[in-house]
Amino acid sequence: MSDSYDDTYTESQVIMTAVKIIAPFTLTYGLFMTFHGGDAPGGGFQGGTIVGVTVLMIAFAFGIEPTRRWLRNSLLVGLVTGGVVIFGVIGLAMIVLGGDFLEFYQLKEVFHIKPKWGLEAVEIGGIALIVSGVIITLFFAMAAGFTPERPSGTGGHSGRQRPTDREVDDDD
Amino acid sequence: MNLFALTLVVFILATAVATALFRDILSVIVVFGAYSLGMAILYTFLLAPDVAMTEAAIGAGVTTLLLLLTIARTARPSADQLSERIHMPAVVVVGAFVVLLCTTVLPEMYAVGITETPVWQHPEVTQHYIQQTYNDTGVENAVTAVLAAYRGFDTFGEAVVVFAAGISTLLVLKREVFA
Repeated sequence: MSDSYDDTYTESQVIMTAVKIIAPFTLTYGLFMTFHGGDAPGGGFQGGTIVGVTVLMIAFAFGIEPTRRWLRNSLLVGLVTGGVVIFGVIGLAMIVLGGDFLEFYQLKEVFHIKPKWGLEAVEIGGIALIVSGVIITLFFAMAAGFTPERPSGTGGHSGRQRPTDREVDDDD
Repeated sequence: MNLFALTLVVFILATAVATALFRDILSVIVVFGAYSLGMAILYTFLLAPDVAMTEAAIGAGVTTLLLLLTIARTARPSADQLSERIHMPAVVVVGAFVVLLCTTVLPEMYAVGITETPVWQHPEVTQHYIQQTYNDTGVENAVTAVLAAYRGFDTFGEAVVVFAAGISTLLVLKREVFA
């Protein structure tokens, strides 16, 4: 049940300690880059990547399976689909306010706030969420995709029932 | 271009050749990560910090991790020799192609930063974004402004492409959960 990942993970005190020290800084830097993308190099894409890589680093140091249990599936689904929805809703909201798709001037016209905030909302709520979520998803999909869904099964064959969230959690 | 940048170019070329030549896949991945890091530093020399950060995060970071994960999940043949056998006819053909490119294309390229390039034939276009970005959008980073404001609809398409790529990977791997 749990031996499918034991072959690749070795507990290393050095890596675990290093990641424990580095992870807060990379997370902060990723968030800074995301939130400060308008006035400094970087932005939602780069910042979201670094935030996602922080989770990948933790998974490498503390084992992929414990990290997968810690990160719930609904959280990642929320990140990825939520990002697309937020991006689209911001764009459509500008149409509702009387402009064109993603025309941030309408924020100034209607609410008298800077158009900048629309741009930042797209960077933070749209791009950063999608990118960080997809990178974490890719990592866990790769980590699990090459091992059979259940130890006795054949890799690609979908067996007696559909692999639900809970079953995957149990098996790989 | 100063001495450090030239050293960097030599380093990038060396790691690129080493990536092609090493036989052990683990060595290839490590050298490829070094190549991406060299490219990221080179982009900062070319005054493109946004591209440099993307290259460092995606090229050197995520790609290396995903490739490492892939070889951890597949059989890794033990290498009995350090490098691949060099196939001479292929070297001759590729070498001739590279020499051809260097002699025909490189002399035609403009030096970095000169103002005689076709882009500057209509300076009002490039200058518009450099001068008007802050007035138009209120952000200081023109790259972010172009990305999220001037061509926001394109970026929306790109974001959806990233989303679709994630979904497609799950489909190919026959998984129905994200984590």
